[in-house]
Parts: sequence; structure tokens; C-alpha cells
Amino acid sequence: MARPETPGGRRPAGPDDPVDHDARLREEIAFHIDQQAERLVRQGVPPDRARREARLRFGGVEGVREATRDEQRAAWLFDFGRDLRFGARVLRRSPVFAVLAVLTLGLGIGASTALFSVVDGVLLRGLPYPDAGRLVRLYQVNDDGTTGGPPRQSSRVSEPNVLDWRRLTHGFSGIAEMAQWGDMPIAGGEQPVMARRTVVSREFFDVMGVAPADGRVFRPEELQEGAAPTAIVSHAFRNRAFAGGPVVGKTIRIGQTAYTVVGEMPPGFDYPGETGVWTPREIQALGQQSRTAHNFQAVARVADGVSVRQAQAELSAVSRQMREEYGSTTWMVDAAAIPLLEQLTATARPALNLLFGAAIVLFLIACTNVTNLLLARAAARRHEQALQLAVGASRWRLVRQVVAETLVLTAAGGLVGVLVAAGAVRALLSLDPGSVPRLADVALNWPAVGFAIGASLAAALGIGLVAALRGRDADLRAVLADAQRSSASSPSRERARQVLVVAQVALTLVLLAGTALLGRSFLSLLGVEPGYRTAGATVLDLVRPRGTGAEEMQRQWQFQTALMDRLAAMPGVEGVGLASGFPLGGADYSTGRYYEMTRVDEFQSYADIARLGDRALDRAGQAGFRVVGGDYFRVMGIPVLEGRTFEAGDLPDAPHVAVVSEAFARDRWPDRDPIGRFIQFGNMDGDPRGFRVVGVVGDVRELSPETPPGPLFYVDYRQRPGHASGFSIVVAGPESARQPQVMQRIVRDLDAGLPVTIHSIEDAFDAALSGRRFNLLLIMVFGLAALALATLGTYGLITYLVAQRTREIGIRMALGAGTASVMRLILGAGLRLAAVGTVIGVAASLGLSRLLDGLLFAVSATDPAAYAIVIVATIGAVLAASLVPALRATRIPPTESLR
Amino acid sequence: MAPKSRDDLLQGTLDMLVLKALALEPMHGWGITERIEQWSDRVLQVGQGTLYPALYRLERQGHVSSAWRTTENNRRARYYALTAAGRRHFARECDYWRRLSHAINLVLETTIA
Repeated sequence: MARPETPGGRRPAGPDDPVDHDARLREEIAFHIDQQAERLVRQGVPPDRARREARLRFGGVEGVREATRDEQRAAWLFDFGRDLRFGARVLRRSPVFAVLAVLTLGLGIGASTALFSVVDGVLLRGLPYPDAGRLVRLYQVNDDGTTGGPPRQSSRVSEPNVLDWRRLTHGFSGIAEMAQWGDMPIAGGEQPVMARRTVVSREFFDVMGVAPADGRVFRPEELQEGAAPTAIVSHAFRNRAFAGGPVVGKTIRIGQTAYTVVGEMPPGFDYPGETGVWTPREIQALGQQSRTAHNFQAVARVADGVSVRQAQAELSAVSRQMREEYGSTTWMVDAAAIPLLEQLTATARPALNLLFGAAIVLFLIACTNVTNLLLARAAARRHEQALQLAVGASRWRLVRQVVAETLVLTAAGGLVGVLVAAGAVRALLSLDPGSVPRLADVALNWPAVGFAIGASLAAALGIGLVAALRGRDADLRAVLADAQRSSASSPSRERARQVLVVAQVALTLVLLAGTALLGRSFLSLLGVEPGYRTAGATVLDLVRPRGTGAEEMQRQWQFQTALMDRLAAMPGVEGVGLASGFPLGGADYSTGRYYEMTRVDEFQSYADIARLGDRALDRAGQAGFRVVGGDYFRVMGIPVLEGRTFEAGDLPDAPHVAVVSEAFARDRWPDRDPIGRFIQFGNMDGDPRGFRVVGVVGDVRELSPETPPGPLFYVDYRQRPGHASGFSIVVAGPESARQPQVMQRIVRDLDAGLPVTIHSIEDAFDAALSGRRFNLLLIMVFGLAALALATLGTYGLITYLVAQRTREIGIRMALGAGTASVMRLILGAGLRLAAVGTVIGVAASLGLSRLLDGLLFAVSATDPAAYAIVIVATIGAVLAASLVPALRATRIPPTESLR
Repeated sequence: MAPKSRDDLLQGTLDMLVLKALALEPMHGWGITERIEQWSDRVLQVGQGTLYPALYRLERQGHVSSAWRTTENNRRARYYALTAAGRRHFARECDYWRRLSHAINLVLETTIA
């Protein structure tokens, strides 16, 4: 046993020490004893005996000094400093324990701090706009009269509705329209660059509360129909297109139109969604009278003195009133104002909450592990403490000492934790799945460091108190009497350690359950048949702005045809196709309302449909409108189920034809043949000519593998090129046939200024899974770390239990107990802990399954298979942890018990 | 926590006795012990384990002040003196004690008819 070290050790009494109560007290005590001795001498006791007697009567000097010191606050603090130093010294004496504990704590604190940084940066920190809490996005809640489903919230709003909101509500200081027109090549700078262009109404910059850093906002005379086009650009755009040089006053070119740049926004402002160029909405006709043309999004600022809730209530009331007034000419039945921060982070929120929860659980496991280690040490140090008690240290003093020791541990753990968190945050940023907004803004900042300090203190308090109170021995005499034996133990401490291991097993099971459920989701996702080719093809994304009019359209499709022909002529290429809304990240996923007609020219305009009144609803349906060309269906591996696809003869002047998806056919004609039926879908591109359905193709999961396939309506790129200027071209064939440089050269040959992005279809499919893979990876790391810690904790406890029972086991074996029965004894102890922990863990997981809402795919939150795997893994780990000490127990020689 | 010892229970009383011992004149710790023992006909033995903590506590609370002085035998000793606040505190404590002991006596002397 280690030499006991007295915490209140001697300390030189410095003359300059302002609070040297100790020296003063020593002198007082010496005086006191002298006086006592003198009195004894006066009473006739021999001098040497008198001194001894006097000292004896005084009692434990140490105890008096201890008690006196406790009466002084300043000294108390001073003593605590000494306790800390003492704690550090004790820890230095057992480096393995100290390192293990510090690393465990560092892991727990680091993981939770890293995730806190992310949660803080993504979900909590305010947006960088003035008074950003008043910014809201306005959503229409649309009825779904066509399918009879519940009303759905949509971020897309129609202009007449926005005009009415402005007129009828008072709770907003401004409502701005925005239309994100996507990435397009913008010329005029040193080189053409791809940048995102957003059309905004005059209120936009006021609503956002941000003014240009250079130049100005749009002037009233620039906000009129037919005014000379002007633009405001982002700081990032200036840096990319103008290499950081001055941009205000310059001219930029989007398609055929030249815009004069009048302002540059301050760095960091690129709302909405990385916008590079803002152009005014008002230079185009304001005559969008259709309440069902949803071409805008709306952002608004809640007026001063009005709460978001009040503004929301007013908007809702006004919108419901509008519905009564306009009837079915609007789809809107209600409206919602959603705080901008909430709207921006909605997709990332569930996953981040889950991961943060997982990190906290890991932190708790780390704390229980360290508590357990401390309790084990407390057992080993009982004699040391007993001796300290015997020389007069108070019990409170011993408690304080353990707390101080813990504080040293957690402080070091917190330091390691901050380092771990710094590394983890960097790793997280490099893993950026692209599915988490604002992730790039995340950094290990002061709030995160504050969180780490808070976590360390909480750990110190929790661990220290449990270890100190549980580790304290109630009966000093028992300890001293027992001092020769190694089997000394206190039942209450043993119970405490068992409770801790059970808690660990339960917490680990919670993490593993989350891991298993997300893992199974991921596997089922990989097993999903998306309905299209996910390998062996290259995708070229292009944006080629064009004007309106038949001539412009013809130029566009002729360019597209020429490009496809050139690409198809590359040796080894198996096919080339074109799509406006390519699965997994294409530019255009527009969805609209179509009407079935009895003959191809039944409806030439809205007036014809309106004449039917409510009967028109029976003819209406919702579908995605997709422009495709070339060998699209064959190249993408989308099967033709019925009829034909587009052919060379489907030219602009020929009758317009369409191909529908299986889901479309099922929705519209559940028990009739779709071929030869007529559809009016002109609201998507402004062309009133009706379609004849000529074919049915398989369904595709176009947004991501987890989104169920919706009804799709395919049209030919020559007949109906659509509004969008962006399109993708797919080239299928062996990898050797798809050389990016070759394809790039072909594009440049045809149109030198046309930027093109080339990526493989594997990458696109992969990117669609990356968010999920990111979540899975993180929770898996947490789960495995938890499992490792819990295994370690169990191993420690079982080893300890075996050590406690060495004598008992030796006697049993001496009396003829076999190896099997000893193994049973030890493994049984482990198994009992595992069983209790598992039951609690399963119950807790089921209770927490709400956290997994929206994160699972094709797996229920109570999936029995996932739980079975997790339970087996947990119990297996605990048994494995018990196995080594159990085997060691069977090798205890019976003579051991005789010592 | 350890059960409260008898000393703890008598703590308030000890403070009062110490203050009483100092009411006459400043005195060192040993003198206080002797004085209390004398006055109580050796019934009350003041434990050193509680006397010095009590003195330090009273000093922290401002009821006594202390200073080094020389004894008749020319030895340095720490002398404790009652402060004005200590005097007031002592008066309050005495008053409280008298009422309490009176009440307890009343109870104990009640004869049950």
C-alpha cells in the first residue's frame, strides 16, 4: 500500500503571509499546552510527565487545527488550492488511471462540444441580418382538390395573392417577392462565370434590412416596366467575376440582356441561397393575374410591436377570407409565416438534434466510467484514508479531497475535450454532406469553449459527489480491523458500481439502437430501385439562356440536337439523352395542374376550363412537367411499359405528344388505357396546344431514393422546350468512351462561352445519399465509442468483483467446485447487469424513438430486427468483458484462500 | 455525514460561555478554559478541540478581536477581547438562554396532579 500522504502537510510559515493563521494557531496551542503543564507541575506532577500529560489532555493537535481552519473562509480556499495540488500529486502517482480517466472524459466532452458547435452554428445562432428574428417566409397552404389529400404547405406563392397580402395585412412592415432563377452564365467580367440569379421585388432589401456596401439599391425609375435593366451583385460574385475589382457602374450580360450594376452587397450577404445577382422584378409586366401561377417565394419582415405569432394569425385570417372571396380560382386555403431561421434549418434540425443527443449520451457514459474508476480507486485507498482519519483529518476533508482530485481530472479532461472538439469540428467540416445549411459557418468558438467548461464542471460535480459520498466508509474501525485482508469491501459501494455499469449498458443500448435503426434505413435505401440507371453514365449540366419566340426556341433545340449528335458520335458511346429536370439535382422540378380533355383542342384557354365550373375539378390532376429529348428513356434505363416514346417525327409542327409515368397513368386512368388520351398542360410553358398521350414509362424516384415516385408528364424538347434555360445531357457507355476533356471540347466547339459541369451519375447518386451517410457515420462513431467504454466499465467491475471474492472462490474450488460452476458464478454476475441494463435501455430507446422522426427510411422506430441485433451485441459485449476475469477466477489456486 | 457530536450540539452554549469569560477583561485561550472551569466548579470542561475553532469563529463574526500581548510571566500569548458587537450579541444570547432555561424548568417542574 502506498504511504499515506497527509493533505494538511507542513508548510513553512512565511512571515509575509497575510493569512498565516496556521503559525498563529500553533503558537497558541504551544502556549496552551505549556500553561497546562505548568499547572500540573504546581499540582505536584514531575515536569517531564506533566508535559506529556498536558499534550495528552489537549488531544489531537491536527484535529484542532483542522477544525479551526474550517472556521476561516480565506483559509478554506487556500486549503482547496492545496487539495488541488494534492490531487494532482496523487494522480501523478497513478498515471495509467489518470490518463485513462482524462482520455475518457476528453472523448465525452470533446464529442459533445463538437456537436454543440454545430448545433450552435447551424440551429441556434441568429442569422446575420438586422433583427433577423422578425424575418419570416410566407407559405401558401394549398388544397389538393385533385387527389382529395390533405392541404399542403408550399413555399411557392402566386403574385395576386402576394398583392392581396400586402393590401390586407398590417402585421408586416414589408413583404417581398423573390424568384430564384438558378445558376446561369453571366458575362461582362473578366470571364463568364456561373452565378445564381434571383429576381426580387422592390421591398426585398428593406425587408432583409441590408443595404449595398458599395453603390445603392434600385431607384424608383429603375423599377418600372421597360426600364433599363439594372442589377445588384454579391461580394462573392464581384470577387469571382471581377477578380475583386470595382463592379458598380459595370455592365453584366445574362443571355441577351445587358444589366448595369448599381450596387454591391456587403460580404456574406447572398440570400436567398447563394444568390450572385439580384435583378428587379418590376421591369417585367406586373400582369400575372393567375392565382394559380406560383412563380414566386415571399419573405417578409414582421412590423415593430407585432409578434410573429400575431402576424401569423393575421396572415392566416386574411388568407382564409381570400379563399372565400376567390373560391377555387386560388388553391390557397390558408397561409403560414415561418421564421426564416426555422425555415432554413428545418431539414437539418432532426438529424442534428439526434446527433447532439447521442453526443450527450456518450458524455454521460464517459462520466459513469470515470466515476467507476474513482470508486475502484477509493476501495484501494481505504487504508490510506483510514489512516488520515486516525491522525485527525475530518471526513469532510476527505470528501473535499476526492472532489479536488475529480476537479483536476475533469479540468484536464476538458482541455483534452477542447482539443478533441477542435479536431472533430474540422473533420465534420471536411465531411460536409451538403445537406446541412450554414455548416461552413461552424467553428469552435467561445460559446463552444464555454460549453466545454460547463460540461467539465458538471462532470466534476457529479462524479466527485458520487465518488466522495459513495466511496466514504461509514465505519472506520471495520476498515482498520480489516486492514490485513484484501477482500474488504463495502456493500453500498459495490451496489453503486453496479448501478453505474447498468446505467452504462442502458445508455450504450440507446446509442446502438439509434445506430442500428439508421443503419438499417441506409441499407434499405441502398436496396431501393430508383427506377433509373445509377452507374455507367456521365451527366453534363448546361445553362444556355435564350429569348422567347419560335425562332429562339428553334435555335435552342437545334443546338441541343447538334450537341447530342456530336456526343453520340464519340466512339463507344451507347446513347445520349436530354432532360430539363434530371433526377438527383437537375435544375427544374416544376409541378403543375393539368386537365384531361375529350379532344385535343377542347380547352384552348382558361376561359374554356372555367366554363366547366366545378366539373373541371374531375378533369384535373397534379404532375411534374419534364422536358426530355434524344434517347433519354433508353439511356436512363427507364422501361417503356406501353406505347412508344418520342420519335424523330415529333417536330414542333406535328401534333404534340406526351409520355406519362406509371404513377400518372394509375392516378388518372386506374382502369382505362392511357394511350390516345388528351391532356391540357399549357400552364407550364404558356403553349395552349393540347397533348396526345402516346406512351407509358416506369416510375422514377427523381428527388432522392427515399422520395416516393410522383406522377410525371414527359414532353419532347423540340415541341415544348419549357421555360428553363438549364438542361442536362446524359451520355451512357463504357468509361473509356466518356472522356470529360473530349466532351468539354465538343461543347466548346459548338458554343465557346458556354460553361459546363461534368460529373458521373455515380457521384450524383452518391451525393443524394451523403446526408444520410454523414448522420450514420457520426452516430456509428458514438455508438462504437459507447460500446467500448461500457465494455471497459464492465470489465473493470467484474475484475474487481473477482478480486473481492478471491477467497470465496478459492474455498469453493478447494471444496470441489468445478471450473464450470465458477465461470457460471462470474458470468452470471455480468449477465445480470447486462440484462437489467438492456431492459432499461430498450425502454429508454422506445421512449426516445420520437427523435428519429423523419430520419428513418422503410424501417419502423421499433423495428424488432434492429433491436434484436442491438440486444445481442450489448449482452455479447458484456459477456466478453466478463469472460477474461471469469477465466482468471477459475485459475485461482485453492491455497490462495489460506493466506 | 458524521452524526453531530455532543460538542456540536453545545456549540451555541460554548460561544456564550466564551463571551461571558471575556466580558470581564481580555484573556488568552488557556485563561478562558481555566476561567470557565473555575466558575462552573469544574463541571464544565472546555475541550480544546472546540475552544479554538470557537474563538476563530467568533473573531470572524466580529464578536471578539485578538492581539499578541505579553503575560505576567513575560510570555507571548494571543489575547482575545470582546468587541461592542460581541457585547450586544452576548446580551441577546443570555436573554435567549434565560428564557429557554426558564421554560425548560417550568416544564420539568410541572407536577402532574
